[in-house]
Amino acid sequence: MKRRAFLITGGVVGGGLMVGVGGLSYVNNKIEQFSGTGMGEGHSLNAFVRISPDNIITVAVSKTEMGQGVYTSIPMLIAEELEVDLSQVKVVHPQCEGPYANLFFANMTPRDFENGLTTMEKVFSFLPNVMTGGSSSIIDSYDHMRIVGATAREMLIAAAAKDWDAKTEDCYADNGHIHNKLNGQWKYYGELAEKASKEKAPELPQLKARSEFKIVGKPSKRLDVPDKVDGTAQFGLDVRLPNMKYAAMRHPAFVAGKIVSVNNVAQVESMPGVDKVVIIDEGVAVVAKTTWHAKNAIAALDLEEKEHPELTRKDAISSLKKVLEGEPAKVWEDEGDIETVLENAEKVITSDYEVPYLAHACMEPLNCTVLVNGDKAEVWTGCQSSTFVLNGVSEGTGISKENIKTNITYLGGGFGRRSETDFVRKAAKVASNFPGTPVQLVFTREEDMKNDYYRPAVVSRLTAALGNGNILGMKKKVAGQGPLFQMMKRNIPFMPMNQEDDQMATEGMRDLPYKMDAAYTDMSCIELPVPVGTWRSVGHSQNAFFTESFMDECARELGKDPYEIRKEMLGNEPRHLDVLNKLAEMSNWKSELPEGKYRGIALHKSFGSIVGQVVEISIQDKNIKVDKVFCVIDCGKIVNPAIIESQMQSGIVYGLTAALYGEISVKDGKVVQNNFPDYQMVTMKTMPEIVVSIIDSDEYPGGVGEPGTPPIAPALTNAVFAATGDRVRSLPLARHGYRFV
Amino acid sequence: MEIKVNGKVYPVDVEDSMPLLWVLRDVLDLTGTKYGCGVAACGACTVHIDGVATRTCMLPVSAAVGKEITTVEGISTAPGLSAVQRAWIDHQVPQCGYCQSGMIMAVEALLDENPDPSDDDINGKITNICRCGTYQRIRAAIKTAAQYRIQSIATDQPSKS
Repeated sequence: MKRRAFLITGGVVGGGLMVGVGGLSYVNNKIEQFSGTGMGEGHSLNAFVRISPDNIITVAVSKTEMGQGVYTSIPMLIAEELEVDLSQVKVVHPQCEGPYANLFFANMTPRDFENGLTTMEKVFSFLPNVMTGGSSSIIDSYDHMRIVGATAREMLIAAAAKDWDAKTEDCYADNGHIHNKLNGQWKYYGELAEKASKEKAPELPQLKARSEFKIVGKPSKRLDVPDKVDGTAQFGLDVRLPNMKYAAMRHPAFVAGKIVSVNNVAQVESMPGVDKVVIIDEGVAVVAKTTWHAKNAIAALDLEEKEHPELTRKDAISSLKKVLEGEPAKVWEDEGDIETVLENAEKVITSDYEVPYLAHACMEPLNCTVLVNGDKAEVWTGCQSSTFVLNGVSEGTGISKENIKTNITYLGGGFGRRSETDFVRKAAKVASNFPGTPVQLVFTREEDMKNDYYRPAVVSRLTAALGNGNILGMKKKVAGQGPLFQMMKRNIPFMPMNQEDDQMATEGMRDLPYKMDAAYTDMSCIELPVPVGTWRSVGHSQNAFFTESFMDECARELGKDPYEIRKEMLGNEPRHLDVLNKLAEMSNWKSELPEGKYRGIALHKSFGSIVGQVVEISIQDKNIKVDKVFCVIDCGKIVNPAIIESQMQSGIVYGLTAALYGEISVKDGKVVQNNFPDYQMVTMKTMPEIVVSIIDSDEYPGGVGEPGTPPIAPALTNAVFAATGDRVRSLPLARHGYRFV
Repeated sequence: MEIKVNGKVYPVDVEDSMPLLWVLRDVLDLTGTKYGCGVAACGACTVHIDGVATRTCMLPVSAAVGKEITTVEGISTAPGLSAVQRAWIDHQVPQCGYCQSGMIMAVEALLDENPDPSDDDINGKITNICRCGTYQRIRAAIKTAAQYRIQSIATDQPSKS
């Protein structure tokens, strides 16, 4: 394999591959030039579409499927323009190659196909940065994948026209056939694929108007669901290879600690089913005949451990509170003159909030399977980034990336935890000890929970200037660790970032949609040894709790209805206003609730989408029943409303679980929580009814995987305040003696 | 020893104390049954043992010898899907899908015992964890599956689609 060499000679450096008009010329390159194997039978029309003689359309989906529905929504975009039925489509995940890079992350803005790639987009193609996350899959794909489908369609039309000696304008594509409208002749795509593959791709094909869509915008059934109901869907942990061995590992018990020595290697190696104790920098693994033998063996390891000196002395939250009192590291927002507005206010109110560390707790514990064979390696795992998979295997084995083949399986949940290299690198190091034998490394649930990159614990102080019955200004201070800062340092070390420049720490805290005379946000940073990372909705997950709770506090202070005050302040934001009004209407906000029932509201924009939620609860003593959640989303143009609905439900349950129970605590230098019994989840019993309404707007699509999560915590605690007068300013609610029924 | 899984007898050369989950997954390569927690808390490892929904990550294989073990791979009566699986497709329940084998097995057993469960019955019996939060669609699908079973539509056995 020489793909990187190919990219350099034919690519960015040579100026041809990535830099053509509209940045599209690489579409001319066929799948086999990139990901030669595993792409199915037939002839490829570009780097994403291959058509077999029996009319199977294989599409390369470069985003990983972790439940968010990309193995359906992205094929829908291609199929729409290619004029094929989704039932003809088969999805494969390509190798880590330039055309499959997520270019949204280059500038945090969708690509401009008319004007070509920006410098950063070229860099991201060249790396390449193949990554699924930040709710960016549809943002990155909405235009791109339709263009890919349309390009293939035009090539099929051109091939048919040649065959029939007809004009291309007399031919059209419909339902997997090219027709000649003059004489009624038609051919299957499968018959034309070989000739079409030799046609030149049009630079920028004509795309359909939304009014012509047959697939996009409608609730297509998911392509991955059949395999997920009969046990055949393959997750990373389901990979089975001939002569495979199974491994488990112990990480240091102390956070950021160290295993100094292993005292009983020989004893553990003599346990039944055990092959070998493998000591790596990150911990101690045992390779065995089955996962169970490996699990038993790691439990039997007698380890000498060293704690991290700082963590046994320091409590994270009190350290953060101290930092918040000092000078901020960076001012992120300074609109108007906040100090003057505060000085002149009729009344000033201030509240401090805090949230704890949170674990991702994907249902499928982290795992990775690696086969090292001489100077080549192959890897099987569910990871949000094949770039990180290549990095991890290369770091762990010393094998160069062009000699590594990736197999990206379904992910049993990602939520940001699988946008890391650690589990891949560790598996690669362990497998290096068994050349020629595939080794599957799994983190037990306990190791998974204790060795997460947690949602940071964060404290904040919000101050509002009130006057004339309004909020005149808001000063927001936040202190915490930077999740993106750490994630970049770990995984993309050649792109260093200062912690105070971590935009994810203040996202959703600044740039609020509410019109005020002054708005100010700053960030104070702290270096703590607790590893943090990206957790579903990242900074928004706590910042929406801070700001939308505080909006409620301001409304109460002013004697205003929490819906009305938002409405008054959203004069310049028609999309927010539409979401809010729709939410009030569907939740019947102005109606009286039956006795013992209360409601709360929150509104938040994240990942390009605006979501509003109203939560209805019943409460008796400290027993809360979350009865119902109304949810309205404006995510711009809709691709699959059924998936949007399920992502709203999913995001709400994820955020609700955190709001009720979620807390990772560090005591005596160790993570306290072990497993689901002490890291509780919402279940059928505690699940509210969720009603979702989607506003179909004409805006460019936003994300849907994460935006459902941020508003639920403040909507819930605002309802608790309505019920009890108890303003919950720190999560989870369980910490305050509430129970959930 | 021998164990009988989905009607087929397998000789297995393992320790008596090895949990059934790992025998299924790592010895027989029946990977539809999942590992989630290892402490019988999440339900991802649920199979039927003589028709009873059982979490297998802590169950010694010796306890299943001589019994009928049914896994997710064994519930569709070829070439069709079970009523529960069909309802799961109708309601588009799975997201990441990792917990769904265990969910489906728990629901099959619930409906065997209680053909028309109320919401409270469901809440009491289906205690599996789904991190994607598919519970609302699970509830709707359980009710549809109950109807399919009652109406015996399941015997139509349409193919997987």
